[in-house]
Amino acid sequence: MFYSHRWFLRPLSGDTPGLSADHHRTGSSSTPGDFLDLLFFFCVFSVASWILLSLSFTTIYTTSTENRTMATSQPPVRFTSHKNLVWRLVFSVLTGRTIQISQIRPSSSNPGLAPHEISFLRLIESVTNGSQMEISYTGTILVFKPGLITGSAPGNGASGGVIHHQLPANCSRGVSYFLVPLCLLAPFSKAPIRVLFSGPGVITSSTPTGDMSVDSVRTAVLPLYNQFGIFNNIELRVLRRSNPGPNGKGGGGEVQLVFGHQVRLAKTLHMLNAGRIKRIRGVAYSVGTSGSNNARMIETARGILNPLSPDTYIFSDMSSAPLVDAPDKTNPSAKKKIGLGFGLSLVAESSTGCLYSADVACPPSGGQPPEDIGKQCAYQLLETISKGGCVAPAAAPTMLGLMTMGTEDVGRLQLGREVVGDEAVIQLARDLTKFGCPGWGLRDASDDKSTGDVIVSVVGRGIGNVGRKVA
Amino acid sequence: MVGKRKRETSVVSRSTAKKEEDAPPAVVDTSAHDVFRKFFEAQFEPIETPKEAVDDESDEQEDDSDGEGSESETGSEWSGVSGEDEEGKVEVVEHRDASSSEHLANKKARKAFMSSKLPTLTEKPTAVKRAPTKEKEDDDPKEADNLKHDLALQRLLKESHLLEDASDLAPTGKNRLKALDLRMQELGAKSSLYHQKMPSAHRRGIKAKAETKEDKRRRDARENGIILEKPAHKVNKSSSGRRERGVGGPSIGKFAGGTLNLSKSDIFSVKGKAMAGRKKPSRGKPKGRR
Repeated sequence: MFYSHRWFLRPLSGDTPGLSADHHRTGSSSTPGDFLDLLFFFCVFSVASWILLSLSFTTIYTTSTENRTMATSQPPVRFTSHKNLVWRLVFSVLTGRTIQISQIRPSSSNPGLAPHEISFLRLIESVTNGSQMEISYTGTILVFKPGLITGSAPGNGASGGVIHHQLPANCSRGVSYFLVPLCLLAPFSKAPIRVLFSGPGVITSSTPTGDMSVDSVRTAVLPLYNQFGIFNNIELRVLRRSNPGPNGKGGGGEVQLVFGHQVRLAKTLHMLNAGRIKRIRGVAYSVGTSGSNNARMIETARGILNPLSPDTYIFSDMSSAPLVDAPDKTNPSAKKKIGLGFGLSLVAESSTGCLYSADVACPPSGGQPPEDIGKQCAYQLLETISKGGCVAPAAAPTMLGLMTMGTEDVGRLQLGREVVGDEAVIQLARDLTKFGCPGWGLRDASDDKSTGDVIVSVVGRGIGNVGRKVA
Repeated sequence: MVGKRKRETSVVSRSTAKKEEDAPPAVVDTSAHDVFRKFFEAQFEPIETPKEAVDDESDEQEDDSDGEGSESETGSEWSGVSGEDEEGKVEVVEHRDASSSEHLANKKARKAFMSSKLPTLTEKPTAVKRAPTKEKEDDDPKEADNLKHDLALQRLLKESHLLEDASDLAPTGKNRLKALDLRMQELGAKSSLYHQKMPSAHRRGIKAKAETKEDKRRRDARENGIILEKPAHKVNKSSSGRRERGVGGPSIGKFAGGTLNLSKSDIFSVKGKAMAGRKKPSRGKPKGRR
C-alpha cells in the first residue's frame, strides 16, 4: 500500500510564494531513508493557522480522511503516471471528482512532479475556490480535490480582476501548455477569467516539447469555442514574445488571457463535414533576431502552399528579445536577454469552419535556416490536413472535452482515423470513462469519399457549470 | 516583351521594321516545331491554325526569310506555337508576382488577424463593409422615394387639423404658416411664432374664454348625446418644480438689488427640523441625552 509512504501534506495557497516542487525534491533527496522511515511527517497549512508541523506515527491515510470533513462520498479516481496530467486535473475540476495520481515519474533521476506541472497546479488552485491538493514527499503521488471554478473574481488571488501567474525559469513547456486546458475550464467559471502569464518561464513560441505557439492557440483553438456558442469577449494578448531559452528552458514572454463568456452548458455539436480548405493564414515571429528571417520563412512556406491555396497570407511579427533578471554577485540588478529565435505558425481554415494548424520554431540550439522552418511548417500543415476529419490533433482534447461538458444529448464529430488513434486521444477517452462519463461511440464515416474517417459520438454530461448554478 | 509583340501581330498590321526583329528567333523555333507537327499530323489529323493571323505574318515572313531557308512558309505558320511557348514563360512571371505581393499584405487584414481578438471564422471586413453601400447605391432611388413618402405622410397626419377646410393637401397662406410653426416646434423651437406678448390679465381672459367655449361645446354635445374626443390632458406646469435658472445664481432665495432675500419657506427648507423641534424644547433635551 503506498499510503505507508512518508507524506507531506500541503494544500497550496495561491498568495503564499511557498514551497515549490524543487523544495520537495531537495527535501526528499536530503532525507536519508532508514531512520526517518518510522517517522511520518505531517504538515498542514490552513488558512487560519499558518504552519502546524507535527510528528506523528499515524499514517496519513487516516489523518487525511479525518481532515476531509466535507469529503465526497465517492472514492477518488485513481490514475498512474504523469501522462495526460493536465487534462486529468481539468476534468477533475469539471466533474468535481477527487483524483489520486500515483507513480509520477517514479524511476526517473528527477522523480515526481515537474516544475511546469506544479505551476499548472498552482494555476488551477488560483482560478478555483476550495481546491485542496496533497503531494507526497517525493512528489510522485498527488491527491487533488477540486473546488469550484471561480475565475478571476476579486478577492480571490486576483488583483484588479487579473490573476498574475508567474512561471518559473526552469519551465520547459510553452505557455500553450497552460492556456489550452485553462481555456477549457474558463467557460464554466463563475466569473470571467483573466490571467496574466509572466515571469522568467513564459515561452510564447512553439517548443521542442510539442507545445503549440500562442498564435496557434489564438487562431486555431479559441475560434473552435464559437461552435459551442462561446464567443464573446475572448482575447489572447501577446504582450511580449519569447522563444525557448538556452536548453529549451525559460523565456521572458508575457501573455494575457481574457475569457469573458461563461455558459452553463456547451451547445451540442454535430460536425461531420470537413469541407475544403478555403484559406491559409499564418504568423511568422522573430524574437531578437533579424526580421529577414520572417521574410525567408514566409517565402518558402508560400512557395509550397500558394499553388495549393491561393488565399494564403502570412503576417510577420518582429520583436526584440525579452530581458529577464539575472542577478550576480557584482550586479544584483543585472538582466540578460533570453528566448531568441524565430518560428512560424500556420492555420488552414476550411469552408465549413474547421481549423488545422501547424507550428514549427527554430530549435533552442539554433543552427537551422529559416527556409527549413518554413518548409517544415508548410509540410506539417499539409500533413495535419491530410489526416482528415474536422479537427486537428492538437485541438481534439478541447473539442471532445467541450462535447463532454455539453447538454445531455449526443454530439457527433468526424475525426481522422489517425487523430482518433492518437495516444493522447485514446488516453483521454479512458480517463473520461474513469471519471464516470459515458463512453464514446465510434463508427466509420459512411460517406462515398471513403476517407477512412471515424465518427465519434459523445454524450454530454448535462451538468456543466456548477459554480454558475450555485450562484 | 517578345510575347506581347506576337500578340499584337495577330490583331493588327504593323510596320515591317518591327517584324524584322521578331522574325529570326521565330524561324529558329519553328523548324523544330515543324518536325513535331509533321509527325503529329502523320499520326492524327492535320492541325488547324487560325488563318487570318497566320496570313498576316506569313506574308511578312516570306519577305524576310527568303534567303534563310526553304521551309520559311511552314515555319512562319508555327510562330503561333512559339508564341504559346513564351506564354509559358509569362506564367512563371505570374507566379513570382504572387509571392512578392505578400509583402504588401494589406494592413487591414493584418490588423484583423494580428489583434488580440480571435480572428472570426467567417469574417471578411472589407467585403462586408462594401456590400451594404453597394446595395444602397442599387436601390437608392427607391429608398429615397420611400423616405420622402414617409415624411409626407407624417406631416399630413400631424397637420391634418389645419386642412379641415382646405381642399389642397399642401397648405397655403395662413395654414402654411401655421404648419411651418408646428414643424418648427417639433424640431425644438421654444415657443410658437404666434405666441404674442401681452398683459397677463389679457392672456388669462383669453384662456378663460377658450375654456368656457370648450366647456359649452362639451356640455352641448353631452346633452345632445354626441360623443366627443377625450379632453386633452392638462399639464400643470406651475407644479413641475423650480424653473431653470442661469448658471452661478443662488440655489436658494431670490437675489434682487444686491441682496439675497430668503422667504420663510426658504428658511424652513434649510432648517426645517430645528424649527419643528423648537416647539418642544423640554422634551427634546432628555431624548438627546439618552
